[in-house]
Amino acid sequence: MNLQRVVAIAGKEWREIVRDRLFFTLAFVVPALLMLLFGYGLSLDVENIPFAVVDHDRSAASRDYAYRFIDSRYFRFRGYAGDERDAAQLIGSGAVRVVLVIPPQFGKTLAQARPAAIQTLVDGSFPSRAMTTKGYVTAINAAFSLAAVAQAVSHATGLSQQDALAQLTPIALESRYLYNQSVSSIWSLAPKLIMVILMLSPPFLTALGVVREKENGSIFNIYASNVSRGEFLVGKLAPYVAISSVNILLLWLLAVLLYQVPFKGSLLFFLPATLVYVLCTTGIGLLVSVLVRTQVAAMIVTMVVTMIPAVLYSGLIIPIVSLGAGAHVVAQLMPAMYYTDIVVGCFLKGVGLMSLWRPLAVLALYACLLFAAGYQLFSKRPNI
Amino acid sequence: MKAEWQLAWRRFAVMLMKELKQLGRDRVLLAFIVYAFTADIFLAASGVSLSLNHAATLVQDLDRSPQSRELLSRFQQPYFRIDGTVGQDAAALAALDQGRAMLVLSVPPQFGRDLANGQPTSLAMQVDTTNSVLGFLATSHAQQIVSQYGLESAMQRLGMGEAATRNLPQVQNDIRVWYNPNQEDSWFMGISEMLNIATVFAVLLPAAAMVREKERGTVEQLIVSPLSPFGILLPKVVSMTGVILCGVALSLFLVLIPVFVIPVKGSLLLFFALSGLYVFTTAGLGLFAATIARNLAQAGMLSILILAPMLFLSGAWTPPEAMPGWLRGLMFASPLHYYLDIAFGILLKGQGLADLQSAILGMGGIGVLVFGAGLLLFRRQFD
Repeated sequence: MNLQRVVAIAGKEWREIVRDRLFFTLAFVVPALLMLLFGYGLSLDVENIPFAVVDHDRSAASRDYAYRFIDSRYFRFRGYAGDERDAAQLIGSGAVRVVLVIPPQFGKTLAQARPAAIQTLVDGSFPSRAMTTKGYVTAINAAFSLAAVAQAVSHATGLSQQDALAQLTPIALESRYLYNQSVSSIWSLAPKLIMVILMLSPPFLTALGVVREKENGSIFNIYASNVSRGEFLVGKLAPYVAISSVNILLLWLLAVLLYQVPFKGSLLFFLPATLVYVLCTTGIGLLVSVLVRTQVAAMIVTMVVTMIPAVLYSGLIIPIVSLGAGAHVVAQLMPAMYYTDIVVGCFLKGVGLMSLWRPLAVLALYACLLFAAGYQLFSKRPNI
Repeated sequence: MKAEWQLAWRRFAVMLMKELKQLGRDRVLLAFIVYAFTADIFLAASGVSLSLNHAATLVQDLDRSPQSRELLSRFQQPYFRIDGTVGQDAAALAALDQGRAMLVLSVPPQFGRDLANGQPTSLAMQVDTTNSVLGFLATSHAQQIVSQYGLESAMQRLGMGEAATRNLPQVQNDIRVWYNPNQEDSWFMGISEMLNIATVFAVLLPAAAMVREKERGTVEQLIVSPLSPFGILLPKVVSMTGVILCGVALSLFLVLIPVFVIPVKGSLLLFFALSGLYVFTTAGLGLFAATIARNLAQAGMLSILILAPMLFLSGAWTPPEAMPGWLRGLMFASPLHYYLDIAFGILLKGQGLADLQSAILGMGGIGVLVFGAGLLLFRRQFD
């Protein structure tokens, strides 16, 4: 490998990138903008769920029950609906996601200290949201139920209502949330966004680089020159890796300064590990660009092999343990999952090389394999 | 007049053939389109489950009384899965650190005695909330188990037997989940993945086809031909729309309906018609990028800028209700947001034209706006 030639290729590529002002700007703007947009917009908290109430009872108890939901920050009251038909229409159109149906005699039944029934309709189009919503509904219902029981008990035993309530809840659940004490989404989200964005932008930048030369025909200059395959690929990729390295810093700063995510690990471990990850994703771009012939194909293949798996199979939204067999295999095959361990470990758990050497080793191996494959498949004597 | 129409039609047909041939000769791309609409959707639909299942749980019972055993035995499938016991706090923490357990329950000493004497006691739970949503679900289920057990034991102690417990003024909430009663993640994941893939192609294919002509200079040939700008753009969009609709049909009839038994409640004809409208609209966004970009690298970066927010903020991956107001406003500018309502409405809810009016109007409005603006920009470029 002749360093001079590598530098020459890298210099040419760099100049080409810089002269394309729009492209050069977008290379930095796109990651930062995505970080901003998703950081604010990609909230996984299920809150402000729109709901309506069908109250057939119209008693004090039924209003009291509805108020428990109206007061909750998890639900947003959208008004009373006349009957079940209206309610069905509201759910169907997506205007509300939950409808409480309070039957007639609800208040009377409770006053007679007998169990009463309520029906809740939940829009199940989004299963995970429906699950969470069910969780909220059950919790609010349980609180109301408990208050009603406490009242009945205090009536029967002569205890004050407060004492009755204390008697009825002898066990307190003391939960400790590890790794994200506030359970605020942005803390668990921002580090993973770094992972997603570094999965998206480096391959895209790279994939087009090689294919562009193929499609333009300027690659024949390389074929005819004395530059070796290795020199060409290293020189070609170096500027893109450099751009992505700047982006690493940029994204890290955004996470720490803007989103105030505590960074408990060491930068000395985090930055090199992230660089290895960027080499992996750049390698994906390289492999795609060697395999396809047109830029259109390069763009689309990169998009589908990086963006969607980066979101679905990386642990961003869905934890890896909940993946089924097929997706689990895909997750193992993608670098994103391993880097998620690293980035989450560095930010939230404050662990370092000692416990993260395994994913780091996998990433390094992955990068080597990708580059080896890219090197093998790139030929200076293509069969056209 | 008639001859003019015939001429326009012939030009259109010729250009359409050209586009289809060009696409057909890119074998890699074609193979990839088939892969994306079949295998990729199969993977997404079969592989993903967003709900809390069998959370790995470790228990630390410092009491070992009948009461503590009874309480811990209530942490059951399908939500929890007791994996074993741990003796020391350090071991519990290590298990959590290494991700071997998601939660650790520990019962304090004297738990059973306190409970029997009516003294307040507690159950400690440590949850790995690296994934906030699952952390919440685990806590909420645990809370339910603990309160129910607490209530039962309190009633017993207060001398009210089982009969009395059953006859309390409790509110039984019967929760019915509509449209997807068993909360099959595969329905949701499969359909939304299909829509996402269609969106990716709808933005990228026409944009790339346009910019490629610019980059290679073949657009000059088109401009000196008798074709109008509209006559150049339309066949591109129509051919790509056709290809994408074929892809959607492929995934519906080969993957989603036979494998995952998605109930098609509404009219498939309507679904395809509106899918065509959607692809057309979204293609307008791609063309927008294509008029700004001078080469494919630029077009690529611009389309990420369009696509990523569209996919993330459509409301499929994250709930729109939780977004801040300004972003929710932005969502209304994304055609995918409406298409999502339409697709789920037709396929799962069985809605018809009348129910979907507002979504269709929204999507159509954006389409007209974007397409018009794109056409205007394109025309100005070559005047």
